[in-house]
Amino acid sequence: MEVRSLTKSFGKHVAVNDLSFSIEKGHCVALLGANGAGKTTTLEMLSGLQQPTNGSVSFGDVHKGDYREYIGYLPQHPVFFPWMNGMEYLVFMGELSGLSKTKASTRANELLERLGIADAGKRKVGGYSGGMKQRLGIAQALIHEPKLLMLDEPVSALDPVGRREILELMKLLKETTTILFSTHILHDAEEVCDDVIMIHKGKLAITGSVSELRRKHQEDVIIISAEANLGAWARSIEDWNTVSKVKSTHNTVEIYVKNAAEARRQLLAEIAERQLPITSFTVAQTSLEDLFMEVVGK
Amino acid sequence: MKTWLVLFRKEWLEMIRNYKVIWIPLAFVLFGLLQPITSYYMPEILKNAGNLPNGAVIKIPIPLSGEVLAQTLGQYNQMGILVLVLAFMGIIASERKSGMTKAILVKPVGYSSYITAKWTSAVLLSAGAIFLSMAASWYYTVLLIGDFPFMNVVKGASIFFIWILFLITLTVFFSSFLKSSGLVAAFTLLLSILVTLLTSLLGKWMEWSPYQLTNAAATLFTAGRIEGPFLLPLITTVILTVLLLSLAATRKSNS
Amino acid sequence: MNFHINWALVAPIIAIQAILVIIALIDLSKTEKTNGPKWMWVLIILFLEVLGPISYFIIGRKQS
Repeated sequence: MEVRSLTKSFGKHVAVNDLSFSIEKGHCVALLGANGAGKTTTLEMLSGLQQPTNGSVSFGDVHKGDYREYIGYLPQHPVFFPWMNGMEYLVFMGELSGLSKTKASTRANELLERLGIADAGKRKVGGYSGGMKQRLGIAQALIHEPKLLMLDEPVSALDPVGRREILELMKLLKETTTILFSTHILHDAEEVCDDVIMIHKGKLAITGSVSELRRKHQEDVIIISAEANLGAWARSIEDWNTVSKVKSTHNTVEIYVKNAAEARRQLLAEIAERQLPITSFTVAQTSLEDLFMEVVGK
Repeated sequence: MKTWLVLFRKEWLEMIRNYKVIWIPLAFVLFGLLQPITSYYMPEILKNAGNLPNGAVIKIPIPLSGEVLAQTLGQYNQMGILVLVLAFMGIIASERKSGMTKAILVKPVGYSSYITAKWTSAVLLSAGAIFLSMAASWYYTVLLIGDFPFMNVVKGASIFFIWILFLITLTVFFSSFLKSSGLVAAFTLLLSILVTLLTSLLGKWMEWSPYQLTNAAATLFTAGRIEGPFLLPLITTVILTVLLLSLAATRKSNS
Repeated sequence: MNFHINWALVAPIIAIQAILVIIALIDLSKTEKTNGPKWMWVLIILFLEVLGPISYFIIGRKQS
């Protein structure tokens, strides 16, 4: 899927601004952004629910036109007919996707089984739990074996157990399907996906594979906590050449360093020499979370 | 076409599950029976109810069959329209509100199929209700009051139904862009009352009015043939219906 | 007072009313939530004759 300078404005408000990216077949891509960054609008444009104000989306060989039969979409708040049971709903959605009734029933049975809600197929959707609804929502998105599965905030509304279930499920699904999912939680993106597209206020902020972003943006950091305020000392080490940045708050100092081994040796020596009353000394790495915060915060 | 049938079947399944398929026709049959029965018993009811002086002779003529059937149309125009508009006000609005419309439209489904499948279901159910009710009303009228040619009932009901068709299309039209079902009902009912009132008050200027079809059907019952404007209101009603339906079935960009 | 009622004529009306009341009550017992308290709807359906079940179907059911 190729997305070129996708733009959507509502009156004067520009929700999505000149967004371009591409999704490779077989990849799992996370669309990451804070609430209100334009994730849902982007996904709705990609799924054909909204017309972009500007820009184009091409999907495989389909450049301009209807590619809805190749995608499966899970809306942010999946809704069902409370008067249908799970099985009926899946068959209905399957038939709408162009499957025959028999094919739709076979697929529906398969999916109910695979998503672990086989026994819920005969129950009215009205009585489903949040996690089950999400599974049924994913099942209806997968019913016609789409080439691309789009999930809008698939885990945001779930409790920790449901969230874990769905994330595990997505890990399974990405073996066979290309996935694009939106989230405001970086951790979920890191856990499941190969690639990340970070957007902020409708604009593309950073894009790349998770490992590449880690390599590029990850820094070693040494975190020292002490019984006393280390602010003064922290300022004194700012101009060491192994140190790139120092942040201190109360009794904790975060020291971003260029060479962890070298810096650790120097710092430990310094601590011993000055007899600083430290309580902990941690060598760590910045997470993508810090990068994300930096992007969102600017 | 195939997805249209799938959507159409879903509408019927829904109307069966929420009992619309039963209660709307039954309610209409009740409205239909009410008129012949009250007409027949009216003299007796009045005789028993009034504090009339002894010896007073009351002569209340039982109306003719055709008049009773025409009055039945009046029942439909009050209770009947109210029931239909309220029953179908949420036909699209409630699915738009819940997000179901989006869930359906991400599938390769044409927006116009989605709307017309709903419209057709509503039209067919109302047609069934009205014709069933009209037949029941005719049966009771013949039994209690006097013979009446059935073919004229079919003709009259068909003419009357075009007016109902227009109102259902109006309901679907409002339902396709308003999110509140209540507003849909309010607008549709207000407009139907307005059309009815204006047609009765300014008959001369309103010969094209869809409401004239009610008058045409009523005269067919009372006089045995259509009196007053018929072709003109028929044409305008059909044009308005097609126009409203195509407006409703054209996708708005931000729906 | 010799009000004469032909029961053969009235029976279908009573039957239709009964069906409406019954399906309204069945539906009421199945749905979880109604607009307004359930007991109120039971009373309306039972005592308002024709209008009771109809108004239940129109405004009592939650259209979700």
